Amino acid sequence: MIAVPTQPAQGVQAGPPQGLAVADVHLRGVVSVLPSRRLDNADFETQFGRDGVADVVKMIGVETRYWVENGQTASDLCFLAAQRLLARLEWPPDSIDALIFVSQTPDQRLPATACVLHGRLGLSTRCQAFDVGLGCSGYVYGLWLASLLIQGGCGRVLLLAGETSSRLIDPNDRATALLFGDAGTASALERSRGAPPIHFVLGTDGAGAGNLIVSGGGFRTPCDDARRPEGLAEEHLFMDGGEVFSFTLRAVPKLVLETLANAGLERGSLDALLLHQANRFMLRHIAKKLGLPEARAPINIDRYGNTSSASIPLLMTTDLAERLMTEPMRVMAVGFGVGYSWGAALMALDPLACAETLAA
Amino acid sequence: MSAFYDGLAEIFEIDADNISPEFDLVAHNWDSLAIVSTIALIDECYDKLVEGSALAKCVTVADVEALIHLAAAA
Repeated sequence: MIAVPTQPAQGVQAGPPQGLAVADVHLRGVVSVLPSRRLDNADFETQFGRDGVADVVKMIGVETRYWVENGQTASDLCFLAAQRLLARLEWPPDSIDALIFVSQTPDQRLPATACVLHGRLGLSTRCQAFDVGLGCSGYVYGLWLASLLIQGGCGRVLLLAGETSSRLIDPNDRATALLFGDAGTASALERSRGAPPIHFVLGTDGAGAGNLIVSGGGFRTPCDDARRPEGLAEEHLFMDGGEVFSFTLRAVPKLVLETLANAGLERGSLDALLLHQANRFMLRHIAKKLGLPEARAPINIDRYGNTSSASIPLLMTTDLAERLMTEPMRVMAVGFGVGYSWGAALMALDPLACAETLAA
Repeated sequence: MSAFYDGLAEIFEIDADNISPEFDLVAHNWDSLAIVSTIALIDECYDKLVEGSALAKCVTVADVEALIHLAAAA
C-alpha cells in the first residue's frame, strides 16, 4: 500500500465528485511514424564529452532518438501515419467527421495545421479540423476531445499527435539536447454503441508555465522570459528540470489513483499504465511509488527519447503493439508536463485493428 | 537513516561510510542531476516532496535532513 496524501498536493486540485467519463467510443487503431535520421549517444560525445553524455544518460535513459531533417515537420510525419491508418482500417477519407492535430511545432502560425492536413488527406468539406497546442498532456486531451466530438454526433475522428522538439532545443544545452526525439502519430476513434465509458481526469497549473517554455515566436514582445539563462536564444526551449520533476512527483501518482477511484477500480486491474515517456529515472520512480512492476508500466524512452504528445501512442505501437492487436486490454494513458498540464484516460480497449510503427 | 545514506552514497558514487551529517555536498558535484536524484530519494525514503530550489541551497547532508524534517512538519 502506498501512502496517499490526505490533502491535495500543491498545484493539484481534486476533480469533480463524479469524475469525467464518455461512453460509446472505441479506439480502433494507432500508427506512429519516426523520422529516418537516428542519433546515438556517441553522436553527442564531441559536443559534451563522454562523461558529460554519460551523466545525463544515466538520468534520462535515452540511448537513441530519431530527428527530422530540415524541412520535415510534425505534420509530415502525422500525414504518413494517418494515410497508413486509414488504409489499414479501410476508412474512406470522406467518412472522417473530425481531425484534431495536437502539436507545439505546427507548420506555420496560420492557418491551423489541421486544415492543411485535412487538404493533404483529401477529407470531406463536412469534416471539422482544428489544432490543440499542448505537449506532454496533449494526447490525453486529444482523446478527451475526440470522445466528446463523438458524443456530440461525430461518427469517426482522426487524432493526430506529433512533435519535432529537435527543432526547439539549443544544441549546446546538455539537459535538453539528449532528451527529446521526434515522432508523428495517428489514432482512429469511432462511435460504437455499448462501448464502456472512458474515464478522464484533467488538470492544469499555470503557475508552472515558466518552467518549460519557448518564450519567443509569439506576439508578446519583448518576451516574458526573465528566467531564460544567459546565452539561451528566445526561440530555444528552456527547461527547469528540477521543478518539472518535483511537479511530476506531486501530480502523477495522485492523478493515477484518482482516475482509478473514479472508475471504481484497483491498481491490479490495469493491464498497462501508459505513462508519457518523460525521463526514465522519473518513470521508474513513479512506477515504484505506485507499486507497479515495469512490465505493467512499459518504458521505451531508451529507444525514442521524449517525443512529447506522441509518446503515449508511440508506446502503444512499439512495446504494446502485439498485445493491443490480439487481446482486450484495460489501459490508463497518463500525460503530464509542459503547462503545467496533465490528464489521464482510463480505457477498456477491444483488440485494435492496427498498431504499427513505420519509418518516414 | 541508513537507506537514505545508502541512497546518497549511490548518487555521489562513493562508499556509504563517507556519508555523515557533515558531508559537504557542494564539494561533491551537487548539480541538478544530484538534486533531482535526491528529490526522488527523499520521496522514496520519507514519502515527502522537497523543492529543488530549497535543496539547491543545502551545503551539507545535515541541511538536507533539516529540510526533510521541515517537510515532515508541514
